[in-house]
This record gives sequence, structure tokens and C-alpha cells, in this order.
Amino acid sequence: MIARPVTVIGERINPGFRSVEPFFAGRDFAGLQALARRQAEAGAAWLNINASQYAQRDPGLMVDIVRAVQQVVDTPLSLDSPDPQVQQACLQACDAVRAGGRKPIINSLTEARWPMAALLDRHPAKIMIMASERLQGGELVRNTTAVEVHETARRLVQRLTAEHGVARDDIIVDIAITNLAADTEGLVPVAIESVRLIGGDADLAGVHLCGGLSNISQDLPARTRSGVMLKDAIENAFLTLTVPAGLDMVIGTPWKPYRLLAADDPLLQEFREILLCPRREALRRIIRLQRS
Amino acid sequence: MSDAEGQRLVTLLADMQEAEALELARRMLDAGFDPVKLLGLCREAMAIVGARYEAQEYFLTELMLAGEMLTEIGAMAKPLIGQARDAGTAAAAPVKVVIGTVHGDLHDIGKNIVTFMLDINGYEVVDLGVNVPSKAFIDAVREHHPAVVGLSGFLTLAFDAMKDTIDAFRTAGVREDFRVMIGGGQVDERVMKFAGADGFGQNAVEAVSLCDGWTGRARHAG
Repeated sequence: MIARPVTVIGERINPGFRSVEPFFAGRDFAGLQALARRQAEAGAAWLNINASQYAQRDPGLMVDIVRAVQQVVDTPLSLDSPDPQVQQACLQACDAVRAGGRKPIINSLTEARWPMAALLDRHPAKIMIMASERLQGGELVRNTTAVEVHETARRLVQRLTAEHGVARDDIIVDIAITNLAADTEGLVPVAIESVRLIGGDADLAGVHLCGGLSNISQDLPARTRSGVMLKDAIENAFLTLTVPAGLDMVIGTPWKPYRLLAADDPLLQEFREILLCPRREALRRIIRLQRS
Repeated sequence: MSDAEGQRLVTLLADMQEAEALELARRMLDAGFDPVKLLGLCREAMAIVGARYEAQEYFLTELMLAGEMLTEIGAMAKPLIGQARDAGTAAAAPVKVVIGTVHGDLHDIGKNIVTFMLDINGYEVVDLGVNVPSKAFIDAVREHHPAVVGLSGFLTLAFDAMKDTIDAFRTAGVREDFRVMIGGGQVDERVMKFAGADGFGQNAVEAVSLCDGWTGRARHAG
């Protein structure tokens, strides 16, 4: 297996992927099982299960997928649903022995959905916490600075420890990686700075830092005109800037060639400059890359 | 002012020749070109950009840059429109769209792109922000009388909130006053039916097409 700079939670079981949607539409569990196997063989440490809109009409679907996937792989699962009842049902359905005792991940807990943390008292699991939003005076507010993200992470980790005795190793902080092309608010630099703040905080030592890496390059062409793998390069540039600061997990595609770029890699330089550019200049530079 | 110059502006905008396009727009306005007509040319260019995006010749980056260019041209042209109107040029009243991310959801990138695209396509957009309670939507439609309401949401939880919001429109007796479109994340026909919406869009270009279809605005692909 190729050495990777990060642990990969396989993202592919999700109808948001055009090639995967038909499996959901047709309740094609064999198709989903093949996808599970392919990700496991490519080295996924967990498999994320997200049924999105299909879970809406069919509340039992997530459980059915959990069972189907566990029939074919022993990789532990990441249960991606904001609904505590769905989480509960999936946790019950997860076969811990099958996963070799490796815990599933509850994906994800937010400050606004705090009662979901009680699941940890009844089920051995890891927990993904979203540091990108917070409760303020009872209102849900989006975090738009690294300091806010860091403070939210500190608060949630502290509460998980105090209220539920969760071990640091079982806590994964999602630092919210956003789309580079649509980033009108500079949230990609915020994500990078958040990794630095949380990764450098001795009080948070031992927690894992994770992000949905594919978001950053979504809706860009896979290749530049000359054939350079553009999405991969942008994702790897992000990893290069964050892994040394503490990012150790991604929700991603396990067969992608994740690696850190050399310090003098021209694309890394370009990526750094794009992050610092005013908005229009940044777009111009990305378009120039696409067309290069 | 020649038609050739107008066509050149459309081509420059559609081809992402940002500096040249902005300069030409400035020059045309300075020379007295009708600002309403100029915005019409921008919409024509945007239709080309949208078509190229759908053909996967362009990507989100081009869509966003086109938006940035049109915002800048809009800022140049709009102050002149009042003057033009006073001088007797007719400009149709803009069609209103109320938009927001439904309660429980804070995702706004998709909503912002749709707002932006509707705005540069000549709609008057009332953006209620994120985590918008049903009541705030109802207050807004009573105040603004929109032709279309756009409900956005990325989380699966948002699909319930979309349904709640549309049910609340029904209870308040306003549901028949406008069309409802939904978008964001992974909406599809199934979610549209579940929520009781009239249409759904997978991207901002589709959102504009939906509104154009409902309000009977003609598109010129140029």
C-alpha cells in the first residue's frame, strides 16, 4: 500500500457523486458493496455512509446500507447523518466484531445538536465534531474566523471530556474545507489557519483534525488543458500546508494520489499566492491554471 | 454607438476578457450608451457563459468571474439608469425573488451564487440569509410579493425544513401567490415532491432558467 500523509475516510458512498447516484436510485446494494470493497482495497481506514436525500423517504436505508457494506468489508464505518435516531439505529446495526473492534464514527456532532453526544454513553464510537458553527445566545451562527473555529473546537472537546468522558483519540474535529472557486469569504485560508491554531493548542493534543478535502476542488476540471491533474494538485497543495500543522485525516477518495508537494513545487507556490490574492485576481489565476 | 461595439462587449464578457470588457463598458457608458441596453448585453453574455458552463467548457471559476465582472458593470450602469429613465427610456419593473437558506442550515455558498446570478440577470433578489425561520419567509413574501421564492439547504435536515416552510406558506394562505424553487446540496425531483416545491435546480444556471421559465422572460443566447 502507498504511504499516505493522512488517514482517509472513504467518501464515495454518497449519492452526491454522479456515478454513485444510480445505486441509490435503484436500491442497488450490490453496487454499493462493490464501491465499499474498492475503497477498502484502496486503503480507506473508515467508510463514510451518506444517503443524503435518499434517507429522507426511507429512514431505514442507512441501516440497510450499513448491513450490506459490513457483509463485504471489515472496514469500520463513518455514519454520516445529522439525525440522532438514524445514528442510534446505525450504531446498533454496526457489527463491532466484524470491524475487528475498531469503532465507528458518529458524523457529526455540532453545538446545536448537542443531545446527540449522549449516544457516546451507550455506544463505543468515535465522534466527528463540526467546528464551523456555534451556538450564540441560542442562535446558530457560522464561524468565519480561525479564532472562532478554534474556540468552538476547544469548547466542544472540553464538554465531550467533562460530560461524556470521551478520550482525545476518539475525537475528530472537522475544520470545514470549502470550495476554492466559490470562496468569496476567504474560508479556505480560515481552514488552514484553524488547523494551525487547533494543531498547536497543547490543551487539544491527541484530538484528530479532519476535513472534506474534495470540497476544495469541486466543480473545477479534473485536468488542465495540458493534462495536469488539477483537482489532485489543489488538494495536495492544501494537504502540504495543513498536514505539518496537524491535519491527520480527510474524508476523501482513497484511490486518489494524496501526497505532500515539494516546497518548490510551482503549483504549491501558485496555490499559496491564490490564497493571498484579492478575489478577482484569484479567479483569474485559477482560470489560467485550468487553461494551462 | 455601433451595434458592433455592443457585440464586442458581449464577446469580451463571454470570453472572460475581463480588463478589456470593463474598459469597453466604461467607454460606452461615458459616450452615452443606454445603460439599460448595456445591462441587456451583459445578460446576453451571461446566457453564453451559462451555456458554456452547462456544456462543461466553463467551470464554476468562469461563472464566478463573469459574476464579478457583471457586478462591476452593474455598479457603473445602475446609477445612470435613473437618469436614462427620466430621459424617457422605458425599463420594465424587475421581477422579485425572495431567497434564503432554510432553518437549521447555515450553508450559504450555493445560495449566494444563485442570488448573484439572479441579480445580474435582472431580478430583484431579497436575500434573507441563512437559518431562516418559516415565519421570516412568510413576512418577506407578504412585504415583497415575489414571483418566486428560493429555498436553499445543504444538509439532509434542510429537506424537512423546506417542507415545513412550504407547509407554512400553505397554512398562511400564500402558497399560490408565487412559485417555489429549491436548491443546494443534493436536491432532486424526489426532494422537490417531498417538500412540495414547484421546481429544483442543481446549479445557479438552472435556478435562473427556472425563474425565466416561470416569469416568461425570453432568453437570448446571442
